[in-house]
Amino acid sequence: MDYTSKNKTEQNDMLKTIGINCIKDLFVNIPRNLVLNKLNICHGNTEQEILTHLHNVAKKNKILISFRGAGIYDHYIPALVKEIVNRSEFRTSYTPYQAEASQGTLQAIFEYQSLICALTDLDVSNASLYDGATAVVEAILMSIRYKKTKKILISEALNPEYIKVIITYFKHLEVDLIFLETTNGIIDNNTLLNKLDDNTTAVVIQSPNYFGLIENMKSLCYWTKKFNSLFIAVVNPLSLGVFCTPGEYNADIAVGENQGLGSPMSFGGTTCGFIVTKKSLAWRLPGRIVGQTKDIKGERGFVLTMQSREQHIRRVNATSNICTNASLNALASCVFLSGWGSKGFKKLAEVNIAKAKYTFKQIKSLNGFSSKFGDQTFFNEFVIKTTKDINKINKILLYNNILGPLNLSNANANAKLKNCMLFCVTEQRTKSEIDSLIEILKTI
Amino acid sequence: MEKLLNEISTCCQPAYDISCDINIEINIPSNLQRCSSLHFPNITESDLLRHFTNLSRNNYALSTTFYPLGSCTMKHNPLISEQVARHYRFNQIHPYQDELTIQGNLEIMYKLEQDLCAISGMDYFTLQPAAGAHGELTGLLIIAKYFETIKQKRTTVIIPDSAHGTNPSSAMLAGFNVITLDSTHDGQINIDKLKQLLNENVAAIMLTVPNTLGVFEKNILTITELAHNNGTIMYYDGANLNAIVGIIKPGDLGFDIMHINLHKTFAAPHGGGGPGSGPVGVKKFLEPFLPIPRIINNKTHFVFNYEKHQSIGKIKAFFGNFPVILKSYVYIKLLGAEGLINSTKQAVLNANYMLAKLRDNIDVPGGHKCLHEFVLSLKSILKNGVKTVDVAKRLLDYGYYAPTIYFPLIVEESIMMEPTETESKQTLDKFIEIFKIIIFKEMLDESDKIKCAPHTTIVRRLDEVIAARNPVLRW
Repeated sequence: MDYTSKNKTEQNDMLKTIGINCIKDLFVNIPRNLVLNKLNICHGNTEQEILTHLHNVAKKNKILISFRGAGIYDHYIPALVKEIVNRSEFRTSYTPYQAEASQGTLQAIFEYQSLICALTDLDVSNASLYDGATAVVEAILMSIRYKKTKKILISEALNPEYIKVIITYFKHLEVDLIFLETTNGIIDNNTLLNKLDDNTTAVVIQSPNYFGLIENMKSLCYWTKKFNSLFIAVVNPLSLGVFCTPGEYNADIAVGENQGLGSPMSFGGTTCGFIVTKKSLAWRLPGRIVGQTKDIKGERGFVLTMQSREQHIRRVNATSNICTNASLNALASCVFLSGWGSKGFKKLAEVNIAKAKYTFKQIKSLNGFSSKFGDQTFFNEFVIKTTKDINKINKILLYNNILGPLNLSNANANAKLKNCMLFCVTEQRTKSEIDSLIEILKTI
Repeated sequence: MEKLLNEISTCCQPAYDISCDINIEINIPSNLQRCSSLHFPNITESDLLRHFTNLSRNNYALSTTFYPLGSCTMKHNPLISEQVARHYRFNQIHPYQDELTIQGNLEIMYKLEQDLCAISGMDYFTLQPAAGAHGELTGLLIIAKYFETIKQKRTTVIIPDSAHGTNPSSAMLAGFNVITLDSTHDGQINIDKLKQLLNENVAAIMLTVPNTLGVFEKNILTITELAHNNGTIMYYDGANLNAIVGIIKPGDLGFDIMHINLHKTFAAPHGGGGPGSGPVGVKKFLEPFLPIPRIINNKTHFVFNYEKHQSIGKIKAFFGNFPVILKSYVYIKLLGAEGLINSTKQAVLNANYMLAKLRDNIDVPGGHKCLHEFVLSLKSILKNGVKTVDVAKRLLDYGYYAPTIYFPLIVEESIMMEPTETESKQTLDKFIEIFKIIIFKEMLDESDKIKCAPHTTIVRRLDEVIAARNPVLRW
């Protein structure tokens, strides 16, 4: 296929206007001896050929009934979300540099910012960051710039993918990363107090944490504030329909992953991170922010604002290097959050809890399976300890088209999670799917 | 102007609903519960559909108009790529599925890495970075790790003043100091100055080739030789790779490491500001430092390899922006070698044609020949108080998105045009005609009309000063 449009006559006209004889002359400045004779890429294909090829490749992927989460979740995506995100006016535009010709994207981001603020009870949000992991990184960077110290306390129950990304980002910046050990799956006040001091820049706690457990954010945040450190909450936005919000416990920055808000799992990307903070930290935010303004007739409109934080103006002193981010996924989240109403959104969170709790109760009553962390409150994930071979369990489940729990046996260096597995149950799982899971586990 | 969501909210039944086939009492301890009320709008599906559809119509987009936004490569995005990327067998895949159940995805990634190697002259690629700037950071972290491994303390990176702002901010984030290299008046690297700056502290030189004026760096081979003699790594910023695909490879020019903006060069839609994808390619000696996991072809199937002890680690959760990766894979398969080469040629032809029609009356700091894009300086022709931004806004009245303005920073009153290969001669002719009317006619006769443009857009000229001085960032 070729998507260019010119015929020979047009091309010759154009060459004449330029004042050259052939296309080759356009590349005269390029070292002649290095110009390629051949590009080692296959011949082109038509649409039909491509479809046949890609359908064959797609068949090599297996679609499974998922009881696995650990950062990426199988949630329902309403038809409206897909309809809007697929509109070419959103999909094929770019960063809204020309505000008057980009009001669609700008207003949608403004609505998104507003919805994220409403959800978290914080003041200022923006769109957007690459994913949940880099969102945590950006929050830590904000805290370092604000406090001018470099000591970060991080819960070891933060998603391990996020921890790995944090380590990659901060290795070269001489930041002191100190990990807080969990007690029975969550961070204990005393563990935090033992590590907190006046030099502590920020404390990073995820809730629901990697094990699905809800942390006591109120008291962890309270103690963090006693030492004038910033509290960074890593939250699952869906859980906030039910659980205490970052604004309620007075977090300084909340971040997280938006994939569950209208983006498909897509092998873990493309997703989208969110960040939201207090007014006092607004100028430290990374990336684009949309603000409301007026046009010369006094009509409301929206523009990119507070741009003097950004790389295209500040260069080496910018608050981040982010340019292209995940705008279309933020739009998906915006449409997702717009359609539930307050009650519906709460109910969505409750259905997740109900289904996960039902599964949890069934599994822990089986022979050879028990709850790792007792009866603590969780959202839609929980850890089960077993006397059985987890790899074998997952093999058998896979044979039944089920993506079983994540094996956590090697997830902790101190073998704290030996023989443990992480289950996830979202609103997508039906009772009959859950019951078949239980039936299979019974037979193992 | 479209109302806001909170303004159209009523007491109606909202758009979505959820049922539950399980009855379970949910007892959440009170200290963990949300106590604040959630102020989400209640809007029907019909009203929401109208709202967002109307919003979409307030956008100029590549699917509705010519979008000559320089440096952003707004070329046509083949529709079949979208259709493929929406296939449930690609997007309903969990990242932690067993390798045997994701062979399709791994095959796509592995093969795209190979195609990118063939196009760029690099030996290995990682597809993990989420965007161009994220690729820059990944590349710089790889460079830092390399010098750490060979026990050399090199703390600075040289970046030309014409570079994208992401270059210096990425270098900073990777822990380097940045030395800015002033360009010559035509945007080329000043070799004498470069020689003065090169010393045992310089880890890397980051170059965009062709540069942001759209001009090929004529001394590139000298520059890469100078760098290598100094033990310095040459970093290729792939923002403008689309100008040379199939013509020449960055690897052959002496570059050691690079990133590619897949969404630009390989035509994935830009999504109003992402998602993108910023793969990083390296020559063999830098391979040990690439992010984990690597994808290996072990003859019978594809597997992940996490056992890379010198790797910089992970730069993003999971493996990369798969849908963008998939669209680029499809694009390369659609065009093939001949299509890719022709695209480059037509992109350069289009840019030079536009430039030829404009160069006689307007200053062109980069000279009268360009590659895929060019930069004009309107400084000497602006009259009656009109600024470049006004000209850009006036173009919106004629239904065009505006070119990039005020970048690169080294050109005063700059306007940067990139037509791409997928625009027809008729489109270019019409645009040039309008552009000339604005700058040669309206600027003299109707300068006020330009200064308060746009007139036909959904809102008139917006006040950015008010927005920044008194930020209103939510409803």
